[in-house]
Amino acid sequence: MTEHVYSAPRDWTRVHPVSPLLGGWAFFGLLAAYLIHQRLPDWVDGGDETFAFFDRFPLLGLIVAAFLGFLVAISVSVWQWRRTTYRIGDDAVYLRQGIVTQQQRQARLDRLQAVDVVQPLLARIFGFAALNIQVAGGDKSGVELKFLRLGDAEALRNEILALAAGARDTRDDAAPGQAPGDAPGVATGAAPASAPRLRDLGAHLSERADALSRPDDILHGTERVRTAVAATEERPVYSVPPGRLFGSILLSGATFTLLTMLLIGGIATLFFNVDVLGGLVAAVGTSLVAGVTAIAGLLGIFWTRFNGGFNFAAGISADGLRLRHGLTETRRQTVPPGRVAAIRLHQPLLWRAKDWWRVTINVAGYGNSNESVSVLHPVATRDEALRAVWLVLPDLGDPDPAGTLGRAMSGVGEEGGFLTSPDAARRLDPFQWRFRGVRATDRALLIRRGRWERELFVVPHERTQSLGLTQGPLRRSLGLANVEVHSTQGPVKPVAAHLALEDARVLLDAQAERAREGRRHQTPEQWMRAVGLHG
Amino acid sequence: MSWYENAQAPWIYVSRRLITARLVSLWITMGVLILVGTAAAVLGSLFWLLLLPAAAVIAGLWGTFLVFRQVTAHAWAEGDEDLMVKRGRMFRSVTVVPYGRMQFVDVKAGPLDRALGIATVQLHTASPGTDASIAGVPADEAARLRDRLTTRGEARLSGL
Repeated sequence: MTEHVYSAPRDWTRVHPVSPLLGGWAFFGLLAAYLIHQRLPDWVDGGDETFAFFDRFPLLGLIVAAFLGFLVAISVSVWQWRRTTYRIGDDAVYLRQGIVTQQQRQARLDRLQAVDVVQPLLARIFGFAALNIQVAGGDKSGVELKFLRLGDAEALRNEILALAAGARDTRDDAAPGQAPGDAPGVATGAAPASAPRLRDLGAHLSERADALSRPDDILHGTERVRTAVAATEERPVYSVPPGRLFGSILLSGATFTLLTMLLIGGIATLFFNVDVLGGLVAAVGTSLVAGVTAIAGLLGIFWTRFNGGFNFAAGISADGLRLRHGLTETRRQTVPPGRVAAIRLHQPLLWRAKDWWRVTINVAGYGNSNESVSVLHPVATRDEALRAVWLVLPDLGDPDPAGTLGRAMSGVGEEGGFLTSPDAARRLDPFQWRFRGVRATDRALLIRRGRWERELFVVPHERTQSLGLTQGPLRRSLGLANVEVHSTQGPVKPVAAHLALEDARVLLDAQAERAREGRRHQTPEQWMRAVGLHG
Repeated sequence: MSWYENAQAPWIYVSRRLITARLVSLWITMGVLILVGTAAAVLGSLFWLLLLPAAAVIAGLWGTFLVFRQVTAHAWAEGDEDLMVKRGRMFRSVTVVPYGRMQFVDVKAGPLDRALGIATVQLHTASPGTDASIAGVPADEAARLRDRLTTRGEARLSGL
């Protein structure tokens, strides 16, 4: 049995050779098969004697089409795999890819925002993982390596995090005289210096069979694999029991909508003798696709929440915040300290009785694209919500952080030093004007809103990008203004609405000053250097 | 009159030539509408179609009024640590952008802007919400402003 030895790929390296089989080939293969099959009848059923053979076996056409489809999809994947190479340097991760146009991308480690180990279902069963390296710099600026052996992916992640933290690689196996940035295109045709080989696969698979005999660990995402570079020690902070997640989904707005629709349908049927069921069947019958899409869309909302939040667990380590979640596709996120730009705590109306909160964050690299990566806690109790905020901001800069946050989550009026909307706001915002509140601690700005459903924004001062003061004609006539805190791209968009103009002006100036002060003391990008752990 | 007085630096109002630039593009659009509407009404003898040029004239006059009001309210100020941009009269806003948050600066000028010698300077931060574009900066001033912003940004550069 050949032992697979991991070494940090300082030379151009290909991702694992089984990658083409783990990718989206099944989907694209089916799509291609479908398209081919759709085209078939034109010449198959055209009365052409040559193809009369297919008329006798209608399924044969489909099988041939499927085979061709998969063949095309896999060849393209293999070709892509051959053209994809990566390596890591002390300052960046480099990726070269592309069939027609070769593209080289580098993810600078001093701009690192998050590193995710993602395992779709198939990859998870066979012990592979994709590594997503997110850097600041707009959409699509990150590097995605798929797929690597799970152990390699974790080792690479740990090494990248160590490098980004400012701990230079001190092992002596990093070859000397290595040029840090090869010119793109020079080595395009050349074989990569090192590559995981297919013959290691046997060893990997036998190891895997061993792991599969303990399916519980895989199911719960707590699988331990050998990694050459150990992860920094992690302390668990909270986890979400599946029961609560399920309950939170049942109590969501989507359920409410569904029940309302059923109720309306029921009333219409019983009291007004409208044949709702018949109508529905007729409507769905006319377009199966539309019916399936509608159902899938509705179930999709539940499914996304459930799938993304399943087995959600968070922990803290020297590398930063660690999140782990997912039912079919598991995702292990590591967000280094100081990368979270804003936090939003939201309590929908139906969650009030349970006092549950959904906590979302802005991390520059994640962008707007995918909501599932921006969740810090899918359904938190009040205590866990406080801990979630603590994960991001260990020091809230307030003598009584729990009390202040508590009042920020469900307070009224000026109690606790909150700046609230003036009486004039009552006419514009009759229900929640007294529930709006803004308060700055030494480290963060808290913005509260909501009477029935509640919302709280927490923005660390040093992460504030810019500030805005806005006023339309309506607010102007009432002497009100909004203060916007511009955060990085993401689902959290903090606004302090309906403040008295004078208060808003003072807040804007004070907040600009606090942000200035915060920037002066902010965590450096290389967080280990900040505390002098590595020189 | 200013609704937000900053203590840091005086407001610098943008060039009045921006009024010309905006009016020209506004009335080109309206002119096309007026011409097409009138031609269609006269040629087709459909006189209710004259409503189109009439609406275009009214929209154009309203737009002209807005352009005057907006351009004369558009200003920027370079503080010690932040750039401030002020805009609008009816829907008014002030944006405060710290130099250290600046990711890059754009200077844009279309053909009309170039003919009038003005340009748009836009400051980008890591936030999509930052609306820090200054239209109608005199071209030579725009280049100087860009250089100043870049220098200050580099001096105070911090991460995200």
